[in-house]
Amino acid sequence: MVALFDQFRDRLLRYLLSFGLTIPDGEEVVQEVFLSLFQHLQRGKSRENLRGWVFRVAHNLALKRRYQIRRSLEVMSEPGGAEELAIDPAPNPETQMVNGQVQQRLAAVLKALPEQSRRCLFLRAEGLRYREIAQVLDMSLGAVSLSLARSLARMARAAER
Amino acid sequence: MWHIDSHLSDQQLLLDVEGELSARDEKQLRTHLEACWKCRARRQEIEGAIAGFIRVHESEQNLELPPIAGPRALLKAHLAQLSAAAPKHASLWFPLPRGFAWTLAAAACGLLAMGLLMARLGGRTNLRAAVVSVPDSRLTPGAALLVSRPAVCSQSNTNNKPVPIVLQRQVFAEYGITGAEPRAYEVDYLITPALGGADDIHNLWPHSYSATVWNAQVKDALENRLRQMVCDGSLDLTEAQQEIATNWIAAYKKYFHTDKPLSDH
Repeated sequence: MVALFDQFRDRLLRYLLSFGLTIPDGEEVVQEVFLSLFQHLQRGKSRENLRGWVFRVAHNLALKRRYQIRRSLEVMSEPGGAEELAIDPAPNPETQMVNGQVQQRLAAVLKALPEQSRRCLFLRAEGLRYREIAQVLDMSLGAVSLSLARSLARMARAAER
Repeated sequence: MWHIDSHLSDQQLLLDVEGELSARDEKQLRTHLEACWKCRARRQEIEGAIAGFIRVHESEQNLELPPIAGPRALLKAHLAQLSAAAPKHASLWFPLPRGFAWTLAAAACGLLAMGLLMARLGGRTNLRAAVVSVPDSRLTPGAALLVSRPAVCSQSNTNNKPVPIVLQRQVFAEYGITGAEPRAYEVDYLITPALGGADDIHNLWPHSYSATVWNAQVKDALENRLRQMVCDGSLDLTEAQQEIATNWIAAYKKYFHTDKPLSDH
């Protein structure tokens, strides 16, 4: 269990941060994932494709956590303002100045992609194969490859401009 | 499959870049690429887009993650606390409460420390120098690694590796036999590493050398039998781990069909 934790913790945490979660929230979700894995194995369930399994649980928990954060912000603040503040991962103006123009365009394209398409890219960046991404996001294999191809085509166009 | 006049789609090119094509499709696609400059150029653009995405992704996640040691210790503490509290006849691991939070984990660490302290100060002291044939399930519930049956069965060396002295002392302390002669005990693995047992204090116990009936030699015979059954497919690995962790003597009686150790054990 600890060996698996060592193997996946950083990758899971990075993926969770892409949901706009803070590091403490992300760490907490990672702990929940591994306790769920503990239960899963204790019940004698499948040990096949544990990488896909932990990412799927992390994905679902992250959605739940983000929803809770949004709800609490909606209650505490004016509609819209605080929510964007909490989940917008855009770089600050100083960072934007440092980034090249191409990178800014790519960042803008990435931000404008549908959530599911961005999730495909993020999961692929963490080393998941297409079959595992399909499992995590509950998509077909064809839909994963199509989504990635479309997203990358958009990014390629943005880089050319 | 693909003709020179009908160019490859981005999806097909990406599948090739990613190594996700079948061998047959890959061969056909390569034949097309050799003849088609346009598709080759497009393939390079896709690879460029991947590189661009990675740069953006890394710059947006330009955060230094906290060291793993703290979260790892937190997880271990919680698992250890749960394992230590496992009921004797329960399975190796038992269900955990949902909605785990850092505060709960911190409390778990505290409870674990308190539990161990109470164990030392409490009735454990009457175990001092006692003959121990069966581990205390509260202290040694057993712990196993996540290994598959093929991995277990492919091990050539099934001898248990020596337990470090520091860990042996911790085991003696937990069992309240610090005053006893250490050489009177073998610190033994409850689930043998040959069956996927972990090198963890919750899988270690002091087996008395003076145990005349249910001694270490008898347990070795059981371990060999279980491993043989796991590897020939007649017993599930998890089941073997659970049986030996729950009550190794009962497991011996079950698998050797006897109420006492066989004469050659």
